[in-house]
Amino acid sequence: MKLAKEEYQALEDIVGPEYITQEPVIMDTYNQVWGNKFFFDEKHSVRPAAVLLPANTGEISAVVKVCNKYGILFKAFSSGFEYLSLSLVNEKGILFDLRRMNRVIEIDAKNMRAVVEPYISVYRLQFEAARYGLYSGRIGVGYSAGVVATECCHHGCQHSMVFTSGYGRNILGVEWVLPTGEVLNMGTGDGGGDLFSADGPGFSLRGILRGRTGANGGHGVITKVSVKLYPWYGPPEWEQTKQPGEPPSFGQLDKVPDGYKVFVPTFNNLDDTLDASEELCRAEILCGFGIAITGTAPFSEGNDEEWAMMQKALNAGPRDVGSIPNSVVAVIGYQSLGELEYREKCVKAITEKWCGRFLPGFNEPRALARAFADMMWSNGVNLRATGDFLPSSSSPDGSPAMLKKLALQEAEIKDRYEQSGAFLTFGSGLRMVSWRPEEHLSTGAQGISTAQYDPWNPASLEAARDFINEIFDPRGEFNRYGIPSRGGCLQIEPVTHIHQNWGPLYDNYDKWLMKIKKMLDPNTVGDWTAYIPPEYPDYAKEGNYVLPSYGKEEKR
Amino acid sequence: MAWQDYVHDMQRCTRCSYCKWIPYRYMRNIDFMEGCPSIARYNWHAYAASGKFNMAYSLLQGRIEIDDTFLDVLYKCCMDGSCDVSCKVQQDIEPLQLMQELRIKCVEDGQLVPAHMVVIEGLRKEDNMMQSPKDERAKWAEGLDVKDLTSESAEVVYHAGCRYSFDEELWPVARAGLTLLRDAGVDIGIMGVEEACCGGRAYELGYAGELTKYAEHQIETFRTAGVKTLVTPCSDCYAAFKVLYDKIGKKLGIEVFHITQYIDKLIKEGKIKFTKEVPLTVTYHDPCHLGRLGEPWVHWQGKEYKVMGQMIVHDPPKKYRRGANGVYETPRDILKSIPGLKLVEMYRIKEYAWCCGAGGGVIDAYPDFAVWTGAERLREANAVGAEAIVSACPWCKRNFLDAARETGDKIEVYDIIELVQKAV
Repeated sequence: MKLAKEEYQALEDIVGPEYITQEPVIMDTYNQVWGNKFFFDEKHSVRPAAVLLPANTGEISAVVKVCNKYGILFKAFSSGFEYLSLSLVNEKGILFDLRRMNRVIEIDAKNMRAVVEPYISVYRLQFEAARYGLYSGRIGVGYSAGVVATECCHHGCQHSMVFTSGYGRNILGVEWVLPTGEVLNMGTGDGGGDLFSADGPGFSLRGILRGRTGANGGHGVITKVSVKLYPWYGPPEWEQTKQPGEPPSFGQLDKVPDGYKVFVPTFNNLDDTLDASEELCRAEILCGFGIAITGTAPFSEGNDEEWAMMQKALNAGPRDVGSIPNSVVAVIGYQSLGELEYREKCVKAITEKWCGRFLPGFNEPRALARAFADMMWSNGVNLRATGDFLPSSSSPDGSPAMLKKLALQEAEIKDRYEQSGAFLTFGSGLRMVSWRPEEHLSTGAQGISTAQYDPWNPASLEAARDFINEIFDPRGEFNRYGIPSRGGCLQIEPVTHIHQNWGPLYDNYDKWLMKIKKMLDPNTVGDWTAYIPPEYPDYAKEGNYVLPSYGKEEKR
Repeated sequence: MAWQDYVHDMQRCTRCSYCKWIPYRYMRNIDFMEGCPSIARYNWHAYAASGKFNMAYSLLQGRIEIDDTFLDVLYKCCMDGSCDVSCKVQQDIEPLQLMQELRIKCVEDGQLVPAHMVVIEGLRKEDNMMQSPKDERAKWAEGLDVKDLTSESAEVVYHAGCRYSFDEELWPVARAGLTLLRDAGVDIGIMGVEEACCGGRAYELGYAGELTKYAEHQIETFRTAGVKTLVTPCSDCYAAFKVLYDKIGKKLGIEVFHITQYIDKLIKEGKIKFTKEVPLTVTYHDPCHLGRLGEPWVHWQGKEYKVMGQMIVHDPPKKYRRGANGVYETPRDILKSIPGLKLVEMYRIKEYAWCCGAGGGVIDAYPDFAVWTGAERLREANAVGAEAIVSACPWCKRNFLDAARETGDKIEVYDIIELVQKAV
């Protein structure tokens, strides 16, 4: 659907002709993302009516007011590396590509915070913060993820959250273009001050801003965020062993840098592993924690090399490979030798208590360095192996006992699917549910069961849908997992059903969410594909949670 | 493979946007993190390699047509391969090859860029990409008393290439290269007016037939001349002779050297000796066609299958070209051996180098974009404190000269040959 001439002109007048397009050739590059096949049965989601490249908050605010005037849906994104960041309810929707808003406005080293615009990636912020001895939290969607998206808009988790937390906990203030076009500054920014506190003396709307799972672009555009930074104990610049001109398979890092130390204890069984993990996290000594060591295995150059490496590893050390699900990676940081000594003693004491051991194969310097680099600095999303993945997540804010129960249940379900050949598998029981605790496990943890499937293989795709259905329970049939997290993959269109299905089970939370949506967005111009509609559409009650695309619905 | 055969790759582009940047782990400076000039300049996702996958998939599905916007997006690209290197950090897919095949499709369908039509018309008429008369091709070598291999014989043929042959401002470089080799005792000659284009640039524009035609012509010419070795000071020509001819199954059948490789050989054999100091702080710009695009072609035929459930692998295992096997150290070794010269590196080097801006037909069709890209590289050279930027390709030198003039940048622009000449 093209915008009416008058509508397009009104938008063009704001951003200028160079920064708006409705060319099909270009717009069809704004609706193809991994995961789309799962949700929409095809690579394309709805083609936007126009895409804009705004330069600043003022332009966005003005455009949003035009959207209200003409009833045009809008959504903003930073890197666009998520199906939900580009999905639209219908074809009269526009996208803001925020790549021109790409400044690190401030790094306030003394107060350990940074102020950035939406196109600043987590990697770039880390890159700059490290020079000040500071560190930024991140989520596990790869290098490109935006700081604004991560902190303010989207649900995601990562191994470093044991140290830095996430889910909005690091937000110190935002500049927020509401769906009405008004610009809101939260906290101290409200009075025109620095964005150093989101909780007053001005309005504190952190819960409204994102809650736990984020509105995913459903209620306006965050144009600036002030975030907490944490200590970085390593070097100001990242040292790489592999240099340009050398084969990519060369190691990226030979050893863990000074300021950090990594341990990989292995336990006798999953129960002990989970109990030991709880103690390690709660000791408040960790900067990074991962329960599935395969997630921190070395990146190979490609699948063929990966396969060769796997065969070699299986031939050389079957004992080590079999120990993977009962191994964890623990990263500690230190500013003094005394601190190092204390934290190291803690790790070893807990390991000993739960009869753990340090297998040489997992604790040789290069393996530890790889694990460190992957957990603390950067990692890629492994979509190469099969073409796609789905991070089904459960278990937020849960007690350790609940997390353990969930992990054991998910491991069993996942293993069943893997053994059917529908997903990538390293062998029976060789991949544990990845466990990503927050703030030393004081506020919960995220369980991640990653299904690596091939969306272009019908059997694999069907299995992926069955798996998500079983493990995530979008219809609320199993009542298995307690408080829903709605994290990971299912933040898009089927959310309608999840809200509908889960609302009555959980204090009718969906009614509150709808009230918020209506209050912030009286004309419903903020695209709600990954948030909540102001009213449930009739068709959403029909059946399968994996719906055809909204585009198809509209054409009916 | 035709463009449609890359459907697997189109489907599996995840939109991670790695193609827009140099690989994250090798970023060194926040001002110089981007890898792709096209997306950096034009911003829309379509201009990145990922966008090309998206466009191709939409085209395949009949959702879009090849129109002026399609051509604009496809051809405002230097075909420099930076995206290819970065993409393959994450994926087993081939962005550069897809873009190449899309260009070939456009030409086959008669969807042409007017500026390129003029260039190709000139090529077909005059055997060069510079729209210049064929009978003036040897003017650059006038007075050098060099063997004419159409009537004499020599071990080595010096192939100047179209840019050096017709860009008068660059003639001193071409002459210096030939003189250096001859003075070092190399039995060398030129094809004179009979030298023809390598066909490489035409291929990059999508004119695949021109590459085949010129490959066959060169094979026959060099066989008739009886030469055993080809030396070229042009990186574009080097990549065509070394890589593209092999890709299309038309290997030249003689040894192919870029002049930096041959000079390095002569230095190591003691046949070129440096006697003078060159007190200059320089930075070396890796030409794309000598670096990542100069990596030998890897032929592969086999089938895809799955292991470990759904992991996609190949039988036999497939080796991807990831840019690490280009010519990187040789020119640096030469520069380091020049007395008094100080080499400082830029932030994006070797397979992660930023393009000069001239490649892929951009210099012909979109000169403002070429200059913008070149100016970005000069900015990087200035940022590391270089007094001069040195390259090993006439297209780079031409574009840097243009960019420096356009922006008023005072940095000196050299080809490596000129610095060697200063030192002997």
